[in-house]
Amino acid sequence: MIRVLLRVLGHEHASPLRRTVTLMTAAAVAEGLSYALLVPLLRALLGPAPEDAWPWLAAFGAAVAACAVLRYLGDLSGFRVGAALLHGMYHRLGDHLARLPVGWYDTNRLGELSVLAGRGVLQAMSAVAHLLAPFVSACVTPLTIVAVMLCFSWQAGLAALVAVPVVAAVDARAGRATAAGDAERAERDHEATARVIEYLQAQPVLRAGGRTTERFRSLDDSLRDLRRASRRSVLSALPGVVGLTLTVQAVFTALLALGAHLALAGELGAAEALAILVLAARCADPLLSLTDIGGKLRGARHVLARLDAVLGTEPLPEPARPVRPVRHDLAFDSVVFRRGDRTVVRDLSLSVPEGQRLAVVGPSGAGKSTLLHLLARFHDVDAGAVRMGGVDVRDIDTEGLMARIAVVFQDVRLFDGTIEENVRLGRPGASEAEVRAAAAAARLDEVIERLPGGWAAHVGEGGALLSGGERQRVSIARALLKDAPVVLLDEVTSALDPVNEAAVHEGVERLMAGRTVVMVAHRSRTVRHADRVVLLDGGRVVEDGGHDELLRRGGRYADFWKTSLTPTTHPILKGPAS
Amino acid sequence: MGTTELARAAERSTTRRDADPPAGPSVAGLLRPYGRSLAAVVVLQVVGALAGLAPLLAVVELGRTLLAPGPTDHAHVRNVVAAGAAGLFVRLLFTAASSAVGHLLDGRVQLALRRQLAARLGRVPIGWLSRRRTGELAKVVGEDVGAVHPFIAHTPGELVAAFVVPLTSLVYLLTVDWRLTLVTLLPVLLAVALVPLLTTPARLREQEEFDTAMGRISDSVVEFVQGISVVKVFGGSGRAHRAFTEAADEFVGTFRRWVHGVSAIAAGMQLALSPPFVLLVVLVGGAVLLTRGDLAPADLLPFLLLGPGLTAPVAALGHGFDEMQAARRAVGRVRDVLAVPPLPEPARPAAPRGHRVELRGVRFGYEPGREVLRGIDLVLEPGTVTAVVGPSGGGKSTLVRLLPRFFDPTHGSVTLGGVDLRDLDGRELYRTVSFVFQDVRLLRASVADNIALAVPHAGLDDVVRAARLAHIHDRVLELPRGYDTVIGEETGLSGGEAQRISLARALLADTPVLVLDEATAFADPRTEHAVRRALTATGGDRTVLVIAHRLETIAEADTVVVLEDGAIVERGRPAELLARGGRFSALWQAHHSAVTGVARHTGDAWGTGATGDAEPAADAAVAEARSGAPRGEDPR
Repeated sequence: MIRVLLRVLGHEHASPLRRTVTLMTAAAVAEGLSYALLVPLLRALLGPAPEDAWPWLAAFGAAVAACAVLRYLGDLSGFRVGAALLHGMYHRLGDHLARLPVGWYDTNRLGELSVLAGRGVLQAMSAVAHLLAPFVSACVTPLTIVAVMLCFSWQAGLAALVAVPVVAAVDARAGRATAAGDAERAERDHEATARVIEYLQAQPVLRAGGRTTERFRSLDDSLRDLRRASRRSVLSALPGVVGLTLTVQAVFTALLALGAHLALAGELGAAEALAILVLAARCADPLLSLTDIGGKLRGARHVLARLDAVLGTEPLPEPARPVRPVRHDLAFDSVVFRRGDRTVVRDLSLSVPEGQRLAVVGPSGAGKSTLLHLLARFHDVDAGAVRMGGVDVRDIDTEGLMARIAVVFQDVRLFDGTIEENVRLGRPGASEAEVRAAAAAARLDEVIERLPGGWAAHVGEGGALLSGGERQRVSIARALLKDAPVVLLDEVTSALDPVNEAAVHEGVERLMAGRTVVMVAHRSRTVRHADRVVLLDGGRVVEDGGHDELLRRGGRYADFWKTSLTPTTHPILKGPAS
Repeated sequence: MGTTELARAAERSTTRRDADPPAGPSVAGLLRPYGRSLAAVVVLQVVGALAGLAPLLAVVELGRTLLAPGPTDHAHVRNVVAAGAAGLFVRLLFTAASSAVGHLLDGRVQLALRRQLAARLGRVPIGWLSRRRTGELAKVVGEDVGAVHPFIAHTPGELVAAFVVPLTSLVYLLTVDWRLTLVTLLPVLLAVALVPLLTTPARLREQEEFDTAMGRISDSVVEFVQGISVVKVFGGSGRAHRAFTEAADEFVGTFRRWVHGVSAIAAGMQLALSPPFVLLVVLVGGAVLLTRGDLAPADLLPFLLLGPGLTAPVAALGHGFDEMQAARRAVGRVRDVLAVPPLPEPARPAAPRGHRVELRGVRFGYEPGREVLRGIDLVLEPGTVTAVVGPSGGGKSTLVRLLPRFFDPTHGSVTLGGVDLRDLDGRELYRTVSFVFQDVRLLRASVADNIALAVPHAGLDDVVRAARLAHIHDRVLELPRGYDTVIGEETGLSGGEAQRISLARALLADTPVLVLDEATAFADPRTEHAVRRALTATGGDRTVLVIAHRLETIAEADTVVVLEDGAIVERGRPAELLARGGRFSALWQAHHSAVTGVARHTGDAWGTGATGDAEPAADAAVAEARSGAPRGEDPR
């Protein structure tokens, strides 16, 4: 546990942690030793001259005080270390998450990560603050008491000593059994949660299919699996818990019998025998709490392991000596990119001179959006290189690369803040007037007017309170505000109503002016405005040239243009004149 | 138990108890059906815990026998030892049984609650669902139900350990010697006396700050993680990161201040409750009584053995107190969801005659006082296509969602074949109405199952035919196991592909009423033509309602309805409306100029640009459409 903790957090925390554990151990040993004074104390008290006990009592009082001081120092140190660890963990996690490529974040990850970073980190760290001391004391105090017993009666001490390895073995075994059960349970839990989310999100279609709960088997199955797993985990933990209790109780019984026997045989004074049994009773309670503490510690360890896994994910390598491009022409040089075992981009070469516009068209699944993602380095290529201003994007530091690129993507991701915050993200240092100007240029101002709260209106989870076209306008305003030399544009499809469409077009037009642009295009107008068009299919460039040139060539682009990019003619299109 | 945990508990027990909502009855209510099993858990636990006192009493009895003057009764000693051992055995048996029964009951309760929740969520209005975060609801079903665990599996045991055993001990000790009993209670009184020190205004303020900081750190974690991809793209990861680390620093700072404030007092409490201190007090009191000859030596033993256990009730306040509070809140959330009224099902479902759809005086609002639909009268004749057009926020999405009964109108009625949708059996409704909306959801199931969702008994041939029509067949064949490929496990599909699956679904269902949002249906331009053909070809007697974006769809519709600000402002045949020069004509021109704007000036190849006459009108129309747009809102 502590090893994983240190690996996750770095070894600078090792010595404070060691000091804490030492203090806690000292407190536990002191507690055990203070009980040693009970033997002469009881001998005096239960003997013919109880007043002889006073010096021993004073000594016991002093021992209790020493023990309390040690414990207080240990607890304080535990909190200090816990706070430092918490601090370190948040910073490590924050630094690391900021370095992971955007491509790493998908919806499933986001959910899991939120839980892990929120509740998980607190849980793991509070383990150090709250559980370490009870754990150390539950282990160390009984051991000290056994040593004390050995001093006063070798038989009783020996009997207790025999129990030590048994207790340790049973506890370890119980731990393993529980851990296995817990792991399975956690997996089923995860599965069930995924099914619940699916069930909720698919409600409309499920109802349409008449699949209400009783007929939506996969959810019910996963819920039942979860219950089965939790039952198994209870049953697998039971032998361990019972075993530990049984061992501890057996030893207590043995000591009871032994004490009685020794006292009856006259080998041990009655007072000593009784004192030893009082000591044994002090031993039993902490040992029995071991399983409980152990379970909680395992929970914390589980979280730590997952944090360790996240922190072990390699971010895209940052260049040792970052180069900052001076020009902003773009180039793909024999690029290959695979996603799983599917090759999305195959040996693709392309270049866009600075200030020019490249339109990418093609059927869905052709790899159009991937080209944009590779330019922004959401992923790294598997072969070849993507260059900006002649510099491989892998040689540009992330911050520098992102500063040069503005993106407007189809799935506009807004975060759950106000409209203003979402726009301002483009350039947080921008003045009020600049933000307003960008919003006006993207025709976002008219959206803001109608929203209750205006600029301060919240956009909801993922921007859910805005329509698709309105989200586009936010993202265009954001890109305008950023004022980057390179613009990557994944054009919205026909999902916009006329008013939004006109607004979005106007904004996009302003955004593209004077910049190097790569756009995935769906509409006739944008394609015609490009300096150059490439038709992508199956991750390859199939045709390449100017719009008119390609049309004249009468190849696939010409076909594509006819069937996809232009609306078909219809009598009514002739307008009122017809 | 940690020092400050205890402090927190002490503070809360005095400050929070009154502020809590009365969640107690609700928990009890949810658990009532399991009362018997729960009682068994408690009884087993009580027996086990009391049996656990036997070995301690055996030591006491042993002491009495050994310390008694005269020869020792060996047989009595043996019996005493045997009784102690038996007590231990009984304790083991009963507590294990109690724990096992408790945990198994816990599993049963959780499964039952989750099923209840799933059943309820499967019947609440879609509209209710759409306004909640999926993650939040999933948390209720998963985590919040899981939070009943301590109530069932741990609380009975802990309560018994904390109260039954100490009280029994107390009664027994009183019979032994009342003076020493009072002395033994001193540590508990001391701990209780320290509580007011923890509730001074300064401490309470620190506690509050700590709670706020704790809330803030979880919020900022979520915000950071959720927003990071957006933030990274804008090169601002440093900044978002800073906000996050600032929250973390602040939290840690508050935590330190809080620990600093309470640690000394809490340590005092902990010392007072610790076994060595209790023993010290008992021994001092005992020594005084013994030296004065007021106490038999053997009577000191029960206090030494049982005394440390008397502090349990105070200590129990700290143990898991936060957990219990959290559990109460969680169960409260479960109850809230179970209390949501489901979409009412008719007691006696009526059978529709034909499938003409009529909306009569339909009004609807998502929240009182803000109507999205304000009196809609509309008839959808079988065999016709009705196109709904209008500015965004006009209520289009809401209108079409009334047909599959995502919501019930607040006034007026929607009828199908002369029967109010509310009097129609749910299954019957969905056998008649299918829909393709923007939010496409695929299940983690095979491609075939996904397509056949609404027609569970469809053969593969039918599935393939629908897939071909939706232009997804070829892509499916490329998947590792074709139609058996499990989506989301063996493959992921792009947005466009998912939309085509959803189209195939609707095509296979082949219902007499089809409601669709063109934005989804035609997201992939290549499929658009095919879909249009498929719809009109199989149309015949079909009733189609479509949110139209494409000029051709509008042009081909039998009826166009212009929806603005929740009311129908124009309706009629498209050509008629265009000639009329009203709202439709204005929208039309706006759209037209948006799509073909440039072509118009350059006199493009497809030669259908608006004529010169139309241009000024078009510009005016754009302006008009703009001013008309920003009113109602389309909640999604």
